Amino acid sequence: MENPNAPAMSPRMLPKKKAGPHLFIKKLVQQRTLVFMSVPFLVWLFVFKYWPIWGWTIAFQDYKPAKKFAEQTWVGWKHFEFLFQDERFFRVLRNTLAMSGINLVLGFVTAITLALLLNEIRRLAFKRLVQTVSYLPHFISWVVAASIIQSTLSPDGIINELLIRLGFIAKGEEILFLGKGEWFWGIFGASSVWKEVGWNTIVYLAAITMIDPAQYEAAEMDGAGRLKRMWYITLPGMKPVIVVLLIMNIGNLLESGFEPQYLLGNGMNVDFSENLDIFVLKYGINQNNFSLATAGGIFKTVVSFVLLFFANNVAKRMGEARLF
Amino acid sequence: MVKKSLIFCMAAVMAFTLAGCAGGKNGNNGSGGQASPSGGASASGASSPSASEKPLDKVTFTYFNGVAGAKDINTNETTIGKILEDQTGVNFKIEHLVGDLNTKIGTMIASNEYPDVLIPDAAIEEVLNAGGFIALDDLIEKYGPNIKRVYGQYFNQMRAADGKIYFIPFSSVVNQFYPDPDINQGAFWVQRRVLKEAGYPKIKTLDEYFKLIEDFVAKHKDEDLTGFIALTHDWRFFTTANPPMHLEGYPNDGNVIVDMNTLEAKTYAAADSTKRWLQKLNELNAKGLFDKASFVDNYDQYIAKLSSKKVVGYFDYGWQVALANNVLKDAARADPTQDDYVYFPLPVTFDGGKDQYLDPPGFVKNRGIGITVSAKNPERIIQYFDNLLKEENQVLRSWGIKGETYEVNEQGRFYRTAEQIAKIDEKFNDKFGFTYYDWDWPQYGTNSTFADGNAVAPNFQPEVFQMRLTDGDKEILGKYGVKTYSEMFSPPDDRPWFPAWGIPKEQGSPQQIWETKKEELTKKYFPKLVLAKPDEFEKVWQEYLGQFGKLDTAGYEKWYTEQIKAVVESLKK
Repeated sequence: MENPNAPAMSPRMLPKKKAGPHLFIKKLVQQRTLVFMSVPFLVWLFVFKYWPIWGWTIAFQDYKPAKKFAEQTWVGWKHFEFLFQDERFFRVLRNTLAMSGINLVLGFVTAITLALLLNEIRRLAFKRLVQTVSYLPHFISWVVAASIIQSTLSPDGIINELLIRLGFIAKGEEILFLGKGEWFWGIFGASSVWKEVGWNTIVYLAAITMIDPAQYEAAEMDGAGRLKRMWYITLPGMKPVIVVLLIMNIGNLLESGFEPQYLLGNGMNVDFSENLDIFVLKYGINQNNFSLATAGGIFKTVVSFVLLFFANNVAKRMGEARLF
Repeated sequence: MVKKSLIFCMAAVMAFTLAGCAGGKNGNNGSGGQASPSGGASASGASSPSASEKPLDKVTFTYFNGVAGAKDINTNETTIGKILEDQTGVNFKIEHLVGDLNTKIGTMIASNEYPDVLIPDAAIEEVLNAGGFIALDDLIEKYGPNIKRVYGQYFNQMRAADGKIYFIPFSSVVNQFYPDPDINQGAFWVQRRVLKEAGYPKIKTLDEYFKLIEDFVAKHKDEDLTGFIALTHDWRFFTTANPPMHLEGYPNDGNVIVDMNTLEAKTYAAADSTKRWLQKLNELNAKGLFDKASFVDNYDQYIAKLSSKKVVGYFDYGWQVALANNVLKDAARADPTQDDYVYFPLPVTFDGGKDQYLDPPGFVKNRGIGITVSAKNPERIIQYFDNLLKEENQVLRSWGIKGETYEVNEQGRFYRTAEQIAKIDEKFNDKFGFTYYDWDWPQYGTNSTFADGNAVAPNFQPEVFQMRLTDGDKEILGKYGVKTYSEMFSPPDDRPWFPAWGIPKEQGSPQQIWETKKEELTKKYFPKLVLAKPDEFEKVWQEYLGQFGKLDTAGYEKWYTEQIKAVVESLKK
């Protein structure tokens, strides 16, 4: 995947497959400027992405920060066993997958819908307004956003107030939204959408601008209405982007985020709000058990890798654009 | 089309990468101790002088405090620090924690580069394990007559497992023990107007306390009052878990109560006392007097509610609600009619027995200040510490300069004039150095007295305390026939191990895991228990007991009992 020659190889430049080391060197000299330009990125990649993999050794030790590498005690799979034998681990795994699943589906559907709708707006001023308003929450930190959500959902918050005014619940029966564990995923999904939907549309709007206007004109000539044009031209035009983003996001399925769960979580919804990151924080880092934290990290990476290849493969089979 | 989609892909990848960077998706998946690159405290050495210089040459040492707080400063920029520099030639460049403590200390440990003087706060175990501190025994023997005088009685407790002293704790008690006249520790608080309306009754038991609240709320139906709230947010959850210990008449030993005679440590998280406490809250909730949001609010929301004048009562520790209490007190100072809303502390127990809310003379031994292996010139530092512990310098760092920040009357009592009290505000404290010498140095602990009988802490001195009282304060104290708030409470018994939570636990030890698991369980079940329908309480309680039974509580108690007995034993020597 991380073929060092990759930047220099586009399909056009490799008309025939001719192998051989001297050919490779020849090409290397030929494209030395390109190769040279890619060196800083390779160094970056190595230092920040490959070098830290060495740290995985920590997961197989009882790691003590002060000791030298040779002085650490090796314990084999002990920390992985602790992880997999803990009943809570499967609960947090479930929560992680559920929340990223919700995030993935909701995030895609809402962002694509909003992008499609925005694209159809004729009045530029209104379009700008909607875009600005929907981007704004993205720039609020989760700490602030969580406070807003908490006050909105609190017993004397606006939602309860509204429900009382509308007569759905009586006064004194205010609902503790964040106290109902089973509602947490929904609250999390809705808040994520609120916060990120505008931001997520940017990529799709960019993709839409790449669509050849001639296609729309032709479709209009043929009598396609607005909806038909959206369905038959805009959406297929966006498809490559959607597929690539989908593949990448599936790879990130175990990254359900950290801040919202940490900030909105409490004792009453812990069964549904605690995800892998929080578990690792609680039992790994907070107790200075770096080994356990690393084991959790490795687990996540391995699963993400498998998922990424799986998604890419599916895309390949279906003949879609793909990552690699 | 192939080419085009490729461009799309590239564009998408680029955009996504950008979005990923800017969005700060916190991908901290815990891949070990990757420390933040925000080094800075590692500037040690650069400013340290060589050891061959004459004693009074000016030197600057680096000093890192693992507690976020005041702004960074050179001690010689403050009045106190300047005087001390003139005496010793030593200046400290103080730096405070920014960000995460473990990250910061972890960076120091990993690089083995420390500031000269380090206060690792909660991360002290790690620094000790890493061998970051030098042993102080020889230095104290050679240069520390005053250190010996002040800390001598604690040396046995200060020694690490290898018998050496690596750091100096802060909470020593020198001479006579002086209680805090204010309530900084736990208490059941209630609005003053409630007591006023009820004719200042003596409230001793939990039932009386809740009855008082219930009656008041019933009489003021239209005011939309909250009867009782609790603080449960994050690590502050102990505020709701600790009351059973206090209600049984024990001070805050953390997770255990310790029998004074047998020295047995017992946990109470699943004991009858906790059941009784939660059942009371459950009843309160059924009557609509308990604020359900207690279990979802964060600390800021809690403080906001306490400042809103709508909450009748709550349990908490004075230091934790100072923000809210100060707002209300300031309002009452400006407008005496607001005095009704100031909270008054009450020593409530289950059955009206002897309370132990006030902290006994304790010695917190898992916090302190140490000299690190990076320090080039530990002699100068220890001499500075020793000099600071001289009686006159302790007066200086606590009371200031005679005629400027305090006065002495004919009987030799220290006091402050009204102007001096008005003058000494936050800004003055920073400039003068009170802020920086208030704590975090080898010192006479806050509860100490000087040889002449004056309190070390100005606010503990009755003369100063009285000056700060408003008419409203004096009235309510007068009604209960006391001069200070702490007189409402029983004097603390002597508990040499106190506080038990201050006994160091090893990282990742069974004790620590027990505490993490216990906290998780209580955080999950306490809300359920309090908010359950009264007839379902018993069922949920049994469920909780079942879960709690899976923890190795006996092992935890055994460990604590051993530790406490060891402390008591070490004092007998």
